[in-house]
Amino acid sequence: MFEGRPGAFLRFVLLLVAIVALPLAVRPVVASEIWIFSIAAMALNLIFGYTGMLSFGQATFFGLAAYTSGLMMIHWHAPLLVVLAAGTLVGALAAAAVGYVCIQRVGTYFIMLTFGFNQMFFFIAYKWTAVTGGDDGLPGIPRPPLALGPWSISLETSVRYYVFVAVVFLLAFYAMKRIVDSPLGVIFQSIRENPVRAAAVGYDVKWYKWIAFTLAGAFTGFAGVLYSMMFGIVPLESISWIISGDIVFMVLIGGIGNLYGPLLGAAAFKWLSEAISVLWNRWPLILGVALVLVVLFLRGGLVEAFARIRGAFGGGGGRRDADEGVPVRVGAEGEART
Amino acid sequence: MNVAFFAGAILNGLVTGMLYALMGVGLSLILGLLNIPNFAHGVLYALGAYVMISAGKAFGFLGGALTALAVVGLLGAVIEYFGVRRLYRVHSDYILLLSFGLSLILTESIILVWGPVGITSQPPAFLTGGIDLGVTVYPKYRLAVMFITTALVLGCYLFVTRTRYGAILRAGIEDKDMAAALGINIRRVFTLTFAVGTGLAGLGGALMSPVRGLLPTMGIDILPFAFVVVVLGGLGSLPGAILAGLLVGVVQSLMTAIWAPGADASVFALMTLGIIARPQGLLGRR
Repeated sequence: MFEGRPGAFLRFVLLLVAIVALPLAVRPVVASEIWIFSIAAMALNLIFGYTGMLSFGQATFFGLAAYTSGLMMIHWHAPLLVVLAAGTLVGALAAAAVGYVCIQRVGTYFIMLTFGFNQMFFFIAYKWTAVTGGDDGLPGIPRPPLALGPWSISLETSVRYYVFVAVVFLLAFYAMKRIVDSPLGVIFQSIRENPVRAAAVGYDVKWYKWIAFTLAGAFTGFAGVLYSMMFGIVPLESISWIISGDIVFMVLIGGIGNLYGPLLGAAAFKWLSEAISVLWNRWPLILGVALVLVVLFLRGGLVEAFARIRGAFGGGGGRRDADEGVPVRVGAEGEART
Repeated sequence: MNVAFFAGAILNGLVTGMLYALMGVGLSLILGLLNIPNFAHGVLYALGAYVMISAGKAFGFLGGALTALAVVGLLGAVIEYFGVRRLYRVHSDYILLLSFGLSLILTESIILVWGPVGITSQPPAFLTGGIDLGVTVYPKYRLAVMFITTALVLGCYLFVTRTRYGAILRAGIEDKDMAAALGINIRRVFTLTFAVGTGLAGLGGALMSPVRGLLPTMGIDILPFAFVVVVLGGLGSLPGAILAGLLVGVVQSLMTAIWAPGADASVFALMTLGIIARPQGLLGRR
């Protein structure tokens, strides 16, 4: 998994340390939320950071999976692994359908289409109160125990749920790492770098974009299921543009095109919003100011900030071409292995 | 369900349709020339409505509407000059994120200044009441809004197609570098276009406030429809934006009359069909 990359092993160890230390630093519920949104941010990173398509509608898949799993658990008392699988499948299928239309256009049109579809599903969830509860959300979702053969482990306490979320997060992280390191991941990156050349070399660009979008939908759906079980309610917000924007924000402040950037971004975002929202309920204002400042002055996100600090102390690290403003990837995470 | 009912629904559709067209024309100009999907367009529409409420108390209806146009247009110029301009050489995704950040800031600022609760607003005294159109009685104010927005949209169209400045604008959309090489100050054209596009959104918000009322989220609620209009109409095509705006407005209004829960979804279904049938937009060339 780490051959030929000393830094990669160190980073992975740091991630494990963070997983253990996080519930000591913040409430276990917030810690769980951080890893759940890390999965969603990783998924956006796959299509934005690696394939070059900025989706502003990831809440579509997050919310659809959350509603699906919530309804399955309320009405059928479906077991944990079944709802996880179902939510992942719903995320993938919805992304395949929405993505098929969206990838017909590129750039700005693609972004506006993903946003438009997000609003369509939001309006359906908002108006279809008999099923979704509309503005009040979908309450009363039980948290089923983890049943593996003859064993059954209760996840009722927030600490136990955190351990479960952390374990499945690591599985998702490993899967994502395998995807971006695979030949498929390299094709994604070649499409990001130069879609015309990728097509000229013989790759069906639309087909691979569709695969990337669908894979991201599956991961986002997976995160949506974990989210629905956490508070026992699916709020209407979970399918709204607000969550879509939050996910974009996490990827951006973390740094795109890097496996660890979205995790840093999700942690910083959730931790900050938890800390600030207690102080001031107009905290999105601060978020907006932060976003504007990051876009204008720190486009590489937190990963770049760390690299700059390291650079200031004489170490190696990423550098940015100020004129082009292209975020330089730190380490080998974003680059194809030869 | 009778003739008067449907006539009212279609008229409502034309009123919102022309508003969508006005928003779409502004967005389309900004998108065509500056390549910016302006996420702040919605909140600038909302800001126009709120400026109208405050300024209207001092300067009356017409003065309030003109203040909204001026304030929002000026803010647009400031945003372009101090923010967007720094990002032209970077990938356009970052300009989108900048406009998203501004959208958050402005929405929260509206809540801070005017409060989170909805406000209702009255049309001016000389436009209250209805007028008998034969098939149905329709509010005078909505008809006035329809005429004003139609005039504005047509004015934009004539300005872009028939004036010297419009020719420069079209040259900029076609090829920025070549326009700049021919001695045109393309940066100033960018700023002015951004100001005009956002100013029109502000004026649209001001005009619609007596019809729909004011809510801090009114901007983000209308934004996806303005996007649909641009995508459906075709990049930089003003006739396309007008046609798509009217189509979206009428479909939405008729669906609201027939089956309200599906009204908003039907607009996106329409867009999906449009994209599959004509990926370049209804009247787009590219």
